[in-house]
Amino acid sequence: MECIKVENFSFKYPGEEKPALINIQMSVEEGSFVVLCGKSGCGKSTLLRQMKSELSPHGEMRGTICYMGKKLEEVGHREQSQGIGYVLQNPDNQIVTDKVWHELAFGLESLGYDTPTIRLRVAEMASYFGIQEWFLKSVTELSGGQKQLLNLASVMAMHPDLLILDEPTSQLDPIAASDFLETVRKINRDIGTTVIITEHRLEDVIPWADQVYMMDEGRIIARGNPEEIGRALKEMKHDMFLAMPTPMQIYAGVESTLDCPLTVSQGRRWLKRELVGMEAPLIRQGSENSMLDLSPVGKQEKDKEVPEIRLKDVWFRYEKNLPDVVKGLNMDVKKGEIFAMVGGNGTGKSTSMSLIARIRFPYRGKIYLEGKEIGKYSDEELYHGFLGVMPQNPQSLFVKKTVREDLYEMIDGKREKTSKAYPIDMKKADAIQGIAALTKLEKLMDRHPYDLSGGEQQRLALAKVLLLRPRILLMDEPTKGIDNHYKQELGEILRTLARHGVTILLISHDVEFCAQYADRIGLFFQGNLVSCKDARSFFAGNNFYTTAANRMARAWFPDAVTVSDVIEAVGSWKRGEG
Amino acid sequence: MNKHADAFTDCHPAVAFFYFLTVILISMFMSHPVLLSISFLGAACYAIRLKGWRKILRFNLLYTLPAMVIVAFMNPAFNHYGVTFLFYLKSGPVTLEALVYGVVLASMLFIAILWFSCYNEVMTTDKFVYLFGRVIPALSLVLSMVFRFVPRFGAQLKVIRNGQKAVGRDFSNGNLFQKLRYGITILSILITWALENAIETSDSMRARGYGLKGRSAFSIFRFDSRDLKASLMLLLLLGISGVGFASGTAFAQYNPVIKIGGLPLTWQSAVTYLAWALFCFFPFIMGVWEDAVFRRLEAKASMERKLPWYMAE
Repeated sequence: MECIKVENFSFKYPGEEKPALINIQMSVEEGSFVVLCGKSGCGKSTLLRQMKSELSPHGEMRGTICYMGKKLEEVGHREQSQGIGYVLQNPDNQIVTDKVWHELAFGLESLGYDTPTIRLRVAEMASYFGIQEWFLKSVTELSGGQKQLLNLASVMAMHPDLLILDEPTSQLDPIAASDFLETVRKINRDIGTTVIITEHRLEDVIPWADQVYMMDEGRIIARGNPEEIGRALKEMKHDMFLAMPTPMQIYAGVESTLDCPLTVSQGRRWLKRELVGMEAPLIRQGSENSMLDLSPVGKQEKDKEVPEIRLKDVWFRYEKNLPDVVKGLNMDVKKGEIFAMVGGNGTGKSTSMSLIARIRFPYRGKIYLEGKEIGKYSDEELYHGFLGVMPQNPQSLFVKKTVREDLYEMIDGKREKTSKAYPIDMKKADAIQGIAALTKLEKLMDRHPYDLSGGEQQRLALAKVLLLRPRILLMDEPTKGIDNHYKQELGEILRTLARHGVTILLISHDVEFCAQYADRIGLFFQGNLVSCKDARSFFAGNNFYTTAANRMARAWFPDAVTVSDVIEAVGSWKRGEG
Repeated sequence: MNKHADAFTDCHPAVAFFYFLTVILISMFMSHPVLLSISFLGAACYAIRLKGWRKILRFNLLYTLPAMVIVAFMNPAFNHYGVTFLFYLKSGPVTLEALVYGVVLASMLFIAILWFSCYNEVMTTDKFVYLFGRVIPALSLVLSMVFRFVPRFGAQLKVIRNGQKAVGRDFSNGNLFQKLRYGITILSILITWALENAIETSDSMRARGYGLKGRSAFSIFRFDSRDLKASLMLLLLLGISGVGFASGTAFAQYNPVIKIGGLPLTWQSAVTYLAWALFCFFPFIMGVWEDAVFRRLEAKASMERKLPWYMAE
């Protein structure tokens, strides 16, 4: 039986001319795992919200949605609350109460169960999800991953038949994200709950999917199992393949008659069959080199050129009695390069960045910006026209009602007078025009900042910071929660900036993004840099901490790091062969 | 905080709440020196047990003692009742009675503070929410949401301030006028942010059936037989002390002459003091008792453990 059946469904937001959803057909079998993908703003969330009356936005709708063979309008609030579980994007916003146990019981309380029943259900959930250890804690003590797991558990406590997840991992780091998705899969497999999920991290969910629906501009443009989707995309030459897992992207770029690979291991097998006759290069020298290369790390060359950012034996801890977070860090960033700091959680990346931004202060060691010690700059010199810091959460910069006003706010209003934030002679309108063009905000100037999508908000925050004309730009997780299309745009903007001499230091968990756009990469571990190299040799030298494209193709093309590298390498080999 | 297990803390919230309510109220409305000293000792022992003597001592020396001294000297400076004149100030005569009453007044304050510090350790927010949720069910959710919201607000304020600081617009930057403006900006960001996010919170609540009829209130607390025994015991002790107080043991007068009931000791006053002492020391005794039981069990387990031959040697 179909858990959800959508027939000829269209939807239009009030006051909009273009419909948000057009003629959607969907049928989700009970117990299946369905992935809905598409660019940001293609209508995925709108569609998901229609599947639960309480969350569906107001607007004009046509067509029907049936839940368990019954029209959704006829299914009551009680039945929907119990039967349809919904997990949203932001882990923090969904938590209602202050204690973990209370949050787990929230839904059951609403349904009016008595205490013994709730006690049993909550115990069951806590055991299944491994929450016992933090059962009595306050929710503020949890990490982001734990919070999202709690949200999932408190929905599952009501024993829903259908679980809808709307980009549940966009705010999580990669390890927490794959743990979370693993749990979702376990629920689907062990309990048989139907799952409908939208997700940026498709490489983790596509291989498990029974059905994939691909959306673009409010329509479903392709459906089928993952392999079929791969083939369809290849034929359509649609730019949607950018959002697909790496093996599928490579498959789409290479002439091939074989089946579409979904995972890295399938990708390897596929490449092996594609490259029949090619001799794999003898044992790669890369890995041995990387071991030997450890020595120059932290060594600071006595160059004539003054590094833009230099950290010298920097030590930092948050409190006197806590352990050191940054331990004797030495780091040089050259002018006009994009330097990416990568590494696990809690290795001191963000802390180091806050030291450079002078939000915190090291207790030992020195930090130099353009050869001058950071403490010697005044606030004025440092934050206006020199150092720009992009906060992790762009919303912490938004002040005004429209994008335009928000941009003007940064340079002290529309009046043409020079101020500390805007000491140059250029007309303000021109400056804003220029920035908007660079960050592609021109069409969004009259929108409310909070109405923008994640990627657009990111660009607005970047535009605001750039209005202060920084020569050094610090970015903490710029790609968090944004899809591959926006990542590409962001990457291009960063490159343009770097060409104009802006030094960019960024923190990222996003290996693919770093491989594509960073010039140099530093790996953080235990409060220090353990490796610091140009991007290509960094990833070519690593076995685990590297891109999916490299993991897939390293046996044949050890230096191919990005998707396009691999496509090119395979293509040129084929041409040589053919 | 690595709080070690405490028997009274693990009791049902109702027992603990009732206990603190009565002990604080009685200590606040009583001016009998012996009873107050007993209350003080009970509170001090329990506070030290909960928080460690170092913390209690430092807090009291730094804050409570100076406050006490001020109150103790304020009273005789403004009140001039009593019959025993000590010396004269500009404002009038200073009497022994007023001085003593000042000290008693100050120690009442001090004792109440001490009990409240115990209360704060024992009655955590979830217990409080649970208790008042019983009275008004909707309130328990509201309180729980408030306790969730307040620290979140604080955390977000920090994030926003860091973001603004890095563009030179935190209220630690600039002159007074700018500080004010930046402060208002930060506040406005904070409020916009909170309202935006509240939409998602309300979505999450409705998605989980909030607003349905017949909402129940779940709690993890259970009223077990130990709680029953403890409350009966407390009621009994309270009853005995109450009868004693009513029959004049709690009588204390400082104006115009100092008169104190229950002294010299009669069997009646002795029983009252004892019952009151047991009442005040109840949490402490309960904790110490449980610790002792535990130690005995541990000792027993280690003695009776049959070591295998290769370890016994």
